[in-house]
Amino acid sequence: MADSVTTFFKDIEGRGHEPLLEKARGTLRIDLTDGRKVAHWHVSFDRGDIAVSRRNAKSDCIFRTDRALFDQIVRGEANAVTAVLRGEAAAEGDLELLFLLQRVFPPQTTPRKAQHRVAGARARA
Amino acid sequence: MSDDLIKILDGNTFVVSDANGDIEASATDPTGLFSFDTRFLSRWVLTIDGQRLNALSVDDLNYFEARFFLVPGTGTVYVDANLSVIRRRSVGAGFHEEVQVLNHQDEPVDLTIRFDADSDFADLFEVKDALEKKGTYLKETKGGKLVIGYTRESYGRATVISATTRAKVDVDGLSFKARIGPHEKWTTEIEVAATPLGGAAAAFRSTIPRGNGGRRPREMAKDLERWLANAPRLESEWEGLRATYRRSLVDLAALRFSPLTAGKRSLPAAGLPWFMTMFGRDSILTCLQALPFAPELAATTLVELGLRQGSRVDDFRDEDPGRILHEMRFGEMTAFEERPHSPYYGCADATPLYVVLLDEYERWTGDRKLVRDFEPEARAALAWIDDYADLMDDGYVWYQRRNEETGLENQCWKDSWDSISYRDGRLPGFPRATCELQGYAYDAKMRGARLARAVWKDEPFAERLEREAADLKRRFNRDYWVEDGEYFALALDSEGGQVDALTSNNGHLLWSGIVEKTKAKSVVRHLMGPRLFSGWGIRTLAEGEGRYNPIGYHVGTIWPFDNSFVAWGLRRYGFKEEAARVAAGILEAAEFFDGRLPEAFGGYERKVTKYPVQYPTACSPQAWSTGAPLLFLRTMLGLEPLGDHLVVDPALPVGIGRLELLDIPGRWGRLDAFGRGLVEVGERRRPGVPN
Repeated sequence: MADSVTTFFKDIEGRGHEPLLEKARGTLRIDLTDGRKVAHWHVSFDRGDIAVSRRNAKSDCIFRTDRALFDQIVRGEANAVTAVLRGEAAAEGDLELLFLLQRVFPPQTTPRKAQHRVAGARARA
Repeated sequence: MSDDLIKILDGNTFVVSDANGDIEASATDPTGLFSFDTRFLSRWVLTIDGQRLNALSVDDLNYFEARFFLVPGTGTVYVDANLSVIRRRSVGAGFHEEVQVLNHQDEPVDLTIRFDADSDFADLFEVKDALEKKGTYLKETKGGKLVIGYTRESYGRATVISATTRAKVDVDGLSFKARIGPHEKWTTEIEVAATPLGGAAAAFRSTIPRGNGGRRPREMAKDLERWLANAPRLESEWEGLRATYRRSLVDLAALRFSPLTAGKRSLPAAGLPWFMTMFGRDSILTCLQALPFAPELAATTLVELGLRQGSRVDDFRDEDPGRILHEMRFGEMTAFEERPHSPYYGCADATPLYVVLLDEYERWTGDRKLVRDFEPEARAALAWIDDYADLMDDGYVWYQRRNEETGLENQCWKDSWDSISYRDGRLPGFPRATCELQGYAYDAKMRGARLARAVWKDEPFAERLEREAADLKRRFNRDYWVEDGEYFALALDSEGGQVDALTSNNGHLLWSGIVEKTKAKSVVRHLMGPRLFSGWGIRTLAEGEGRYNPIGYHVGTIWPFDNSFVAWGLRRYGFKEEAARVAAGILEAAEFFDGRLPEAFGGYERKVTKYPVQYPTACSPQAWSTGAPLLFLRTMLGLEPLGDHLVVDPALPVGIGRLELLDIPGRWGRLDAFGRGLVEVGERRRPGVPN
């Protein structure tokens, strides 16, 4: 069965250069609890290039939550900021990296630019 | 809220109490200890032998600490002062309170000193709207400490109260038995800590930087000293202006707030008590006002708002890619997504204003690195204007909330329900395209073009933006111009019709530069005419319009911040004397408020009331009111960066005498500006200077 967490990390690594993340340098560690197990993922940002690793490394920011919630976050069904405020997730260190990673989380609702324009819109004169 | 409340703050932790230092909050009033949008203490009452105390005086000279001088009893005529009590309170990660009881008699006394404590853990939104709680409370005594807590699922917050001297702690408070010798004193220190509950929450807390509680008063006093020393020095014969200037600098220091990603850097929060958080619009406009005085605020604001720029389409948060946030909150209702403020993006002006601030910041400071670093954000903001704000596909900026339950209806600065009306008082439907949004969009494109050329080295992009700006200006001057009134309509409605009330928004249009030169004179005639100008300032809505009300929030009151941008606009079009008149009116009004301009005051004619009437529930201090005197100083002195130079072209109201602003920071290092009051501003009292 496809594992959406693994898919997510594969996806962001496969993105290549991401202009929206060019300011970021550092490593974000994501700790995911699943029962008694804790899986560590390291996401390194280097001026728009992203690398993902399971190996231990020094990190600038740690985000901890359980795997099920993270799954929802990466699917766009849950929000990382409110999860931290509720105490279902924790974040420490340089939160800038977490904010920037959020930019590449999938959208919470499908983009539908045409739809939120008003019906019957006039053309510009 | 009434004015005798004592407010102290640091970051977004603040304490609001009565003049005795006591807190007895009802469900709907904003007294208590608040931190991160949550009330951590709603009851905090000091008694001696069961008796309440009576305030002799309060000293709250520093924004982060207060001293209360008290005596027992609520004496009506005569107070028997055998004892006196001094409470000294400072904000920390919660607050710290030192209590001294002094025995003035020749005999020893035995006293029971007690603090009653309780908390309702209300979200600030619940206080504002009087809503019910959904979680459970707990109260316990643990190791000589009182713990009052609240939990709802994984969410938890707690207030932990402890004392340095031995106390009898019960679940409703702390009691001390004291024997005080003749002419001796008894002292204790109490720590009230506002904390999250649970391990995960503790980790979150550990990331909260200094500047949001946890600093000692001495550290805060040093920081304030440094802040004041870094600001330009004002020399003026007008004593009231000097006082207003100092008040503005201190209040601006008090309103600084460090978002979680900012480290020690800070940006202006919007206002006490409701708005101690990051707002897109308020933070940007305040930074624009303060640029010649404290440019570092603008840098933090640009970084923090840029980091949180919208990246997806999210109807609940009214988020779009490229959109700059409206408001960020940290309370329970935000945590459970009962409110969309994590952050909420429903605001149509912050995005173009972000580009305006980025450009103005570079013009003053020459900090090209920040402009380069935030090029993607600036481009995304400019793209938002065309791609997401143009709801009617006609080249204008429109707004209509997608979150119909808890989103904002009016996404412009006049955001109350009845602020956008036709002359006859009718309200238009949605979407709406208010006029100042078009001005900001025009200015953003022009300034974006300058940055594209000067910093991003993208000539085709610069040319495209200039073409679009010119086209927008042409269409705007045709579609918004009210022919029979000779001013700009407040908005277009969804049918393309003019929402034709006469408003102060015309002044923001001057500031943006979207007004054709031939139309400026007529616009100024309205702004300075009796229907808009009261003698103190320019009303939000003109007298005679259907919804005009001199104490209506956005329909007749005078907003100092609004006037400061209008005056800047008057200067931009060369109306120096008119700008000086507006500045003189508001700065004279400031004297009636001890130098602290309120959010808004009544639109009554100056000749009738003689003094400015404060709007009843206004927030104070409020950031953009605090910034208004600063922008007026810039406008009156005609300060304008030109390359690496600072141009000074003063037009000061007569009676101000000689004005000097020394050590103005910028890309030139530090420079001084001088001026003398020569502009006749009408038949008024001439402030401060003997005639």
